[in-house]
Amino acid sequence: MPDPQPLVRGIGLTKVYGNLVALKDADFTVMPGEVRALIGSNGAGKSTLVKILTGAIAPTLGTVEIAGKAAPLGDPSEMIRRRVSCIYQHSNLAPAMSVLDNIFLGRQPTGKFGFVDRGRQRREALALLERHGIDLDLDATVSNLPTVKQKEVEIMKALALDAQVILMDEPTGWLAASEVTKLHATVRMLKARGVGIVYISHMLDEVFAVCDTMTIMRDGKVIAESAVADIDRPRVVHLMVGEKLARESERAAHQKRHPRGTGEIRLRARNLTKRGVFQGVSFDLYAGEILCLTGLIGSKRTELVRTLFGADRFDSGTLEVEGQPVTFGTPARAISHGIGFVPEDRHRDGLMLDMTMTENLAMAMLDRFRRGLILGRNRMVEAGRRAISSLSIQPPDGTRPVKLLSGGNQQKVLVGKWLNRSPRILILDEPTVGIDVGAKAEIYGILRRERELGAAVLVVSSDLDEVMTVADRIGVMVSGRLAALHDADAVRMDEIVREIGEAAA
Amino acid sequence: MTIRPATAALVLFFAATLAFFSLSAPHFATATNFENLMSGFSFVAILAVGEAFPILVRGIDLSVGAIVGVVGMVVFDLTLVLHVPGYVILPVALAVGALAGALNGVLIVFLRLQPFIATLSTLAAYRGLTYSISGRQLVPGLTTTPIRDPWIVGIETYFDIGGWLGVSKFVTMPWFPLSFFIMLVVFAILQTAVLATRFGRDLYTVGGNYEAARLAGINTTRVIISAYAIAGFCAAITALIMVARFTTSTEALGTGMELTAIAAAVIGGVSLAGGIGSMFGPVVGAFLLGAVLLGLTLQGVPQFVQQIITGVILLAAVGYDRLLALRRQRRLALSLAEAT
Amino acid sequence: MSAGGATALPELARRIAPNALPIVILVIVIVFAVAQPAFLKPDNLIGIVRQVALIGIMATCTTFVIMTGGVDLSVGPVLAIAGLVSYYSLEADLPLALVVLAGLSMGVLVGLANGAVIALLQLPPIIVTLAMLSIVRGSALILGGPEQHLIRNEPAYSFIGAGSLFGLPFPIYLFALVALVMILVQRLTPLGMLVAAIGDNETAARLSGHRTRATKTLVYAISGFGAAFAGIIQSSQVHTALATYGPFGTELDVIAAVVVGGTSILGGNGSVARTLVGVFFLGVVNNGMNILNIPIDIQLIAKGGIIVTALAIAARRA
Repeated sequence: MPDPQPLVRGIGLTKVYGNLVALKDADFTVMPGEVRALIGSNGAGKSTLVKILTGAIAPTLGTVEIAGKAAPLGDPSEMIRRRVSCIYQHSNLAPAMSVLDNIFLGRQPTGKFGFVDRGRQRREALALLERHGIDLDLDATVSNLPTVKQKEVEIMKALALDAQVILMDEPTGWLAASEVTKLHATVRMLKARGVGIVYISHMLDEVFAVCDTMTIMRDGKVIAESAVADIDRPRVVHLMVGEKLARESERAAHQKRHPRGTGEIRLRARNLTKRGVFQGVSFDLYAGEILCLTGLIGSKRTELVRTLFGADRFDSGTLEVEGQPVTFGTPARAISHGIGFVPEDRHRDGLMLDMTMTENLAMAMLDRFRRGLILGRNRMVEAGRRAISSLSIQPPDGTRPVKLLSGGNQQKVLVGKWLNRSPRILILDEPTVGIDVGAKAEIYGILRRERELGAAVLVVSSDLDEVMTVADRIGVMVSGRLAALHDADAVRMDEIVREIGEAAA
Repeated sequence: MTIRPATAALVLFFAATLAFFSLSAPHFATATNFENLMSGFSFVAILAVGEAFPILVRGIDLSVGAIVGVVGMVVFDLTLVLHVPGYVILPVALAVGALAGALNGVLIVFLRLQPFIATLSTLAAYRGLTYSISGRQLVPGLTTTPIRDPWIVGIETYFDIGGWLGVSKFVTMPWFPLSFFIMLVVFAILQTAVLATRFGRDLYTVGGNYEAARLAGINTTRVIISAYAIAGFCAAITALIMVARFTTSTEALGTGMELTAIAAAVIGGVSLAGGIGSMFGPVVGAFLLGAVLLGLTLQGVPQFVQQIITGVILLAAVGYDRLLALRRQRRLALSLAEAT
Repeated sequence: MSAGGATALPELARRIAPNALPIVILVIVIVFAVAQPAFLKPDNLIGIVRQVALIGIMATCTTFVIMTGGVDLSVGPVLAIAGLVSYYSLEADLPLALVVLAGLSMGVLVGLANGAVIALLQLPPIIVTLAMLSIVRGSALILGGPEQHLIRNEPAYSFIGAGSLFGLPFPIYLFALVALVMILVQRLTPLGMLVAAIGDNETAARLSGHRTRATKTLVYAISGFGAAFAGIIQSSQVHTALATYGPFGTELDVIAAVVVGGTSILGGNGSVARTLVGVFFLGVVNNGMNILNIPIDIQLIAKGGIIVTALAIAARRA
């Protein structure tokens, strides 16, 4: 029997952005009926590879073959024509249009003169929904739907293409357990039809449940490939994070924990409630400890910590900072009480991308550099230099615009902005998302240092490995409620996992 | 097809405005006045409909007034200087408008200029071009020569619909200008295109989420250039109507009209953020502005106050739109909360 | 960001790029001077500065607005109404200081109104300032009617626009003063950095503890101030206050100067100094074209072409 031909083959794919090598010489193959996982930490190059395969970007070097023939690169319409479709991680829908139109985005079936054939469109959509057991209101406006439903629209959009190859980028991030099951059933159905699937995910449980093979990436390179049956979880994690961090992780796991730190309560939250978002959240945050709040995406941790910073308001409950009751109407007030906040999306909410490192580092403390009406630029530059050096930000050039920095260094600038103020309380929301493994370790070091200096650190993190590595205490939030609060050295990871998953089911 | 609350509010407001002025302004609810409304603002409506397209793709076109000027002067030159027959001039004029608009699209897509800047530049360039090609400068005598070509002048024709329908025995009907029917045809065609064709879907997609459109394989270049070409095309129609009315054209034709067109489109609910709105709103918006201006004039309100009121209406329209958007967001957040 | 082993030419181009515009100005000056030696006569050069003084004052004051990602289309009518307010204050025999104060306050008030609606109600600046353009123009016409109001026998007031000091027209000093102050504000005060930060990422600026709404309101007030100042100078210069001064196109000339100078219309990093360069660039080109007797239509086409070229190059660099 002749060898079946690969559906998709990426050969020697390399992508360079200026100084940054996002992808180096990557080979990637998907056979008919194969479900191949693509695994790696953030910054490993997975997204870049996916974008090349869907035509969203063109590689600097390398080729892509679809069904044995070289395909034009960097052109999404060509890839769509060759029946490669993708469920993207970020919203790729037209928000003001209906679900029905979004499912057929750019390809609505037409009759004469380019008129959209509404009847056919609806029939095909209904058949599609039925086949995959998904329930959607075809006429609803997408922007009015909850994120979970929007994700389902994205999935239907990709499936409507009747593709030969489907890439799914973190498809289950927003889904509840029952929907994940449905998605996996769909994956198996497609597999049986000979469709090739690329399953990009952090959730190793899912990978082991539904994938046949896996490709592991790190630092822009393909590190290993394996059949799922031939490898185990520890080895995968080991390959993902590399020797250095794996060892450090283990070392860190044995580090002394400091639950409740120095015993001084910096922040006291009692019964914080925001209607429809979170309810009755109560906890104390101590100086000299790192408290990690973990949970599923959608557990409203970001919404909660934003109210601690004055970026949003809660409806009822009390907040005390160092013994004083406070209400923060604006971030400025929280800052004056010694609180710093590193937001989840550093590009959207955290950094001024076109401004220099020095300027970004000084952004939260312009007042300190001000004498009368004048902004003391020299002092600002000096403070920036000290921060860059103390945080080992690369390259050590304060005049460089931050958009040219790598994700890890950008995050360090963002954290550094607050460290400059010697915060009493430091809140970080998903601080290591999208940054490379080395920078992650450095950020952990920074957090530990702040803790030693007596700050109270609150970290929101969905990365359980990260939580187990840095936390002194762990809080588990589920659907807006603080379900549990543990001392880190008194609980095991699988217990946390169970708590997160249990309450959601 | 669901009717947006903003559109319903607009129609209600328009009706209320008509009612208000019918009661408070002498001679407002007369055939003559409605005739003035149609003949004076149908071409504004057409320009507004054209302007809606660049705004729908999240851009803007500041040059439509200048395109009106250019096309007007082209028509003037072709008929009075070169004596080209009218039935040739009409398609040429439309083509010139579409090309001028397409150039805007080209600057925006290929030179990656911001729409504000690109159309600001063509505003200057096209106005300059109008002066350059001006037959009025070349042959001074022409400034007093009226255009007589029946194909052009024929645009300024009025139809006694009331008489045809036999209704004028009971009520004095206004005579309907041809420009009103032209406006209806333009509206019908473009509204259908936008709501019922794939091109329309692509337009909304590009305006609503450019990256999603690109990744879905939509030819965003073609969509954007088409949007600006349509704006230019509508500007050409506007120019033809105006030239027919004045039986001449000047270098200043169309000056400032882009602001009116933008105002009418925004009042009509076309969102500056792109992806929201249809042709219906700009038409109503244009006639709303027209009704207000005519009504205030009949009330003896000085023209200067009218300007102020126009500005206030624009602010109110945008403010209301934003209020609706905020309310939508709040309702959504609450309903999502209830779902969890 | 260096490319290893770069050849000399790209490196040179990279060094020059930020200073491209002043160099182009120099080149143009040379070209014009060769084509028409009268260009370099001191009278002409002084004339250029005097001509650009009004637009220059408005452009330097509007730069902050554009840096925050906004735009002010209402500067034309503000110019007119400030002149009218000054005129009526003169008629009321108010002392010169109060006359000027009244005119300037008018501009600041309109600016505050713009800023409040934009910052607090979060309505789009294009539409708000477009509406304000109508409202202010109408108000100016109500206040002063369509007639010209002659300013007679007011030597002190007339000095502002028509007087000269040490051989240079007084408006040049005023222009220099405003430009200097705005440059200093931008370079030396936190406001200068804050304005760019808001334009770059308003959310991040707010989360960094800055009062973004107050700042945005302030920059529109400054823009209104600039337009009012220009209005006072103009009415003084021509001894006339007229409600239709600052006609349609004024605001676009002002925005063009800022944008050609290098500040992006989308906001973010920008510079008042660069706006000055943009102002002079357009002024030199205008004057040169006038001296060479280039007809107005070609001038307009050239203006459009210049803006496109300048910005296309900037877009390429980004």
